[in-house]
Amino acid sequence: MPGDTLIEVRDLTKRYGGVVALAGMNLTVERGTVHAVVGENGAGKSTLMKILAGAVRPDGGTVRIAGQAVTLDSPNEARKHGIGIVYQELSLFPERSVLANLFVNREPASFGIVSTRAMEAESRDLLARLGLHVDVRAPVGRLTIGERQLVELARVLLEEPQLIILDEPNSALNERETQRLFAVLRALRARGHTMLYVSHRLEEVFAISDRVTITRNGRDVLTRDRQDLTIPEVIEGMIGTQHEALFPPPLPRAAGHDEERIDIRGLVGGPLKGIDLTARSGEVVGLAGLEGSGVGALLSILFGTLRARTGTVTFPDRKGLPRNPTAAARRGVCLVPADRRRNGLMLEKSILFNISQVFVGARTGGSWLFRNGPAYQRAQRQIDNLKIKARSPWTLANQLSGGNQQKVVIGKWLEIGPKVFLLDDPTRGVDVGAKREIYGLIRRMSADGGIVLFSSTELPELVGLCDRIVVFYQGRIAGELSNVDDHTLLHVINTGEVPAQATLLRETTP
Amino acid sequence: MTDTGSAPAEPQTPVRRGFRVPEEIGVIVALLLMILVIGIARPRFLNPINLLTILGHTTFQGMLAIGMVYLLAIREIDLSVGWIFNFSAVFTGLLMVAGVDPWVAAFLGVAFGAALGLFNGILAVGLRLPAIIVTLGTYSMFQGLSLVVNGGRAVVPPDQTTSFFTVVSTKVFGIVPVAALVFVALAIVMHFVLHRTKFGYRVQAVGSNPEAAELAGISNNTIRLQTLVLMGAICGLSGAMYIGFRGAIDPQEGADFVLVVVAAVIIGGTPLSGGYGTVIGAVIGMLIIQVISSGLIFFGIDATWSTFVTGAVIVIAVVLDQLVKWQRNRALSRAGDG
Repeated sequence: MPGDTLIEVRDLTKRYGGVVALAGMNLTVERGTVHAVVGENGAGKSTLMKILAGAVRPDGGTVRIAGQAVTLDSPNEARKHGIGIVYQELSLFPERSVLANLFVNREPASFGIVSTRAMEAESRDLLARLGLHVDVRAPVGRLTIGERQLVELARVLLEEPQLIILDEPNSALNERETQRLFAVLRALRARGHTMLYVSHRLEEVFAISDRVTITRNGRDVLTRDRQDLTIPEVIEGMIGTQHEALFPPPLPRAAGHDEERIDIRGLVGGPLKGIDLTARSGEVVGLAGLEGSGVGALLSILFGTLRARTGTVTFPDRKGLPRNPTAAARRGVCLVPADRRRNGLMLEKSILFNISQVFVGARTGGSWLFRNGPAYQRAQRQIDNLKIKARSPWTLANQLSGGNQQKVVIGKWLEIGPKVFLLDDPTRGVDVGAKREIYGLIRRMSADGGIVLFSSTELPELVGLCDRIVVFYQGRIAGELSNVDDHTLLHVINTGEVPAQATLLRETTP
Repeated sequence: MTDTGSAPAEPQTPVRRGFRVPEEIGVIVALLLMILVIGIARPRFLNPINLLTILGHTTFQGMLAIGMVYLLAIREIDLSVGWIFNFSAVFTGLLMVAGVDPWVAAFLGVAFGAALGLFNGILAVGLRLPAIIVTLGTYSMFQGLSLVVNGGRAVVPPDQTTSFFTVVSTKVFGIVPVAALVFVALAIVMHFVLHRTKFGYRVQAVGSNPEAAELAGISNNTIRLQTLVLMGAICGLSGAMYIGFRGAIDPQEGADFVLVVVAAVIIGGTPLSGGYGTVIGAVIGMLIIQVISSGLIFFGIDATWSTFVTGAVIVIAVVLDQLVKWQRNRALSRAGDG
């Protein structure tokens, strides 16, 4: 039914403190379509969805549903207007039963007594349609992630919404679970449901959607039918510049550095079941894998926050694993965490204070004083070096944008001249401009003789930046790839199987 | 103030931020206003001897407040401070009774306080419990042990004509108690330590964001342990000086210290959320509490009211602090619009 507009968003704006999340976002969704919204992290797609779900209030702009202007100032209000959202992070109660989760807050009851039978009757058809054959009285915590995602979807569907928003619904699913979810979504579309599908995984977007809106920096840049688009076009739209320019080429190795290496042999610990890996200075080694595949655990073990059970690791200083982060920091091993606000920064403190974290906090020796003079110079040096946009070193970390915050985290480590860089998704939630600068920095780290292990959830940056990519699958290394395309990489990450031609590629490029 | 020792050729960088009103200005103004108001109504209040007596009265609890600033700065509270104070004083007094040289006994009293703090610290770090839980238990342990060793009676060291007692209870120029001078000196030193040393930096870092601090190589455990030992040592110092000042330690002395001490720290402007602390503020907070109770006496109001008024001041201080914070946050989000 083209031309039958269900929802129309005009000029939506939203700021969080100094960070602009939406800067005039437009979106028109036709009834009965699957409409994908794509964009990099920080492009504003999640904020847009939260506004439609009534979880966030916009600063400006209008939302019309079936031609009527509406104010969605609470999740209940959004629900009343027929908008249901399946969140990115599962929002179920793991200890409660499937039924209790499906009917949370609106349990069918007579005389105040909840009727399990009524709940079962009401949900049976739907669960069958979704192909969810589980014990509905069992706690949700016993289901697989894929099944939980379907429970979440079922909960939304029970409210019979006009519009279903799916915010990266498969970020935790494996390939098979994803295929099953897609089959369900296609069935829903066939029944006339309208869906908004948010993702940054383009293959999936192309597999499921009818129409695509590309977002960038809080705006919509392009909306078109899926069949009139190609993946490179979408990537270009998302990034806004040439693909190649985003990733700086390897820099010539700086003179005066011997090759250093970190050797990992038979490492077992956490989810890891025996890892052999060598990383050398001068290369950027990518680490890829699903949540729980062991990438995070490897970085934690190397930094001393997680114990290894067995296995040996030899660092450039010929010593083994650090006992704790303090030992790691003193030996020049640094970790740039994914969640910088929680794990990287003291938000209420100044840049000056934050840049001194490792230099003053962890190092032994040196003066027992903490003097503002040298601290100011350290901060100013990193502000200049990393092009941190801030009024002065006294600016609070809170007042910086995501990209600049991440640069402060990197800067605090650069002050001690680390030898080993463990980068855990360092560009998460960072705008594209800052991303490019961070890629440049990573290249510089490696050219200056650093050993760089770079983990990421974004395939293009793994492919674009890394000299080789080590893919983790269920605690083991599934394969080591170089010169792969996003598609092959995605396949290996999700299945743990390296396709024949990818192995070939690795062998033909020594 | 610029430190360009390593690179003298570099252009001078402005090290100081533009003029910034010190955080403590609010409580200082509040204290002065109170003194002024009471002084106008009852001019006798302004007699320097009276004011210095007030300072003298705050000394022993005030020293505890200095240590408590560090604990609040790392998001901890030590409930046992009053009994570490008492136990250390009893310990010092009993050593003197046993014939130990008073100076040596006082020194051992400080070490004893530090040891009790270490006990708190080991429990808190070892069991990964907040200090408030651990010290809830050690509060009674220290109290009980102190009562056991003093037999429920005041400990009175013999021969109080020795140099220790005369020095500690002396008044410089006849009016300024030495104990108060030690208190003020300790406050200045500890303020400097919090803001200008590595240890102070680490305390603030751990309090600001424990996880980020840990991942930057700042061991939370080490800092928590050190801070609790520091707290114990300060309690020990306060207790040892108390013996020298008063010449005796009552079995119940210190029982009601902890709430006053925490109140003084909060009135002074140290947030419970950690990451920042002001020793100067805590001292002013202590003085405010003392001025209130002395002022009530000057007005002839029953002393039992002072507890209520102190509580009201805490509530007002917290309300003001919260209002300032909201104001600042609003200003921040407005600044984002620019």
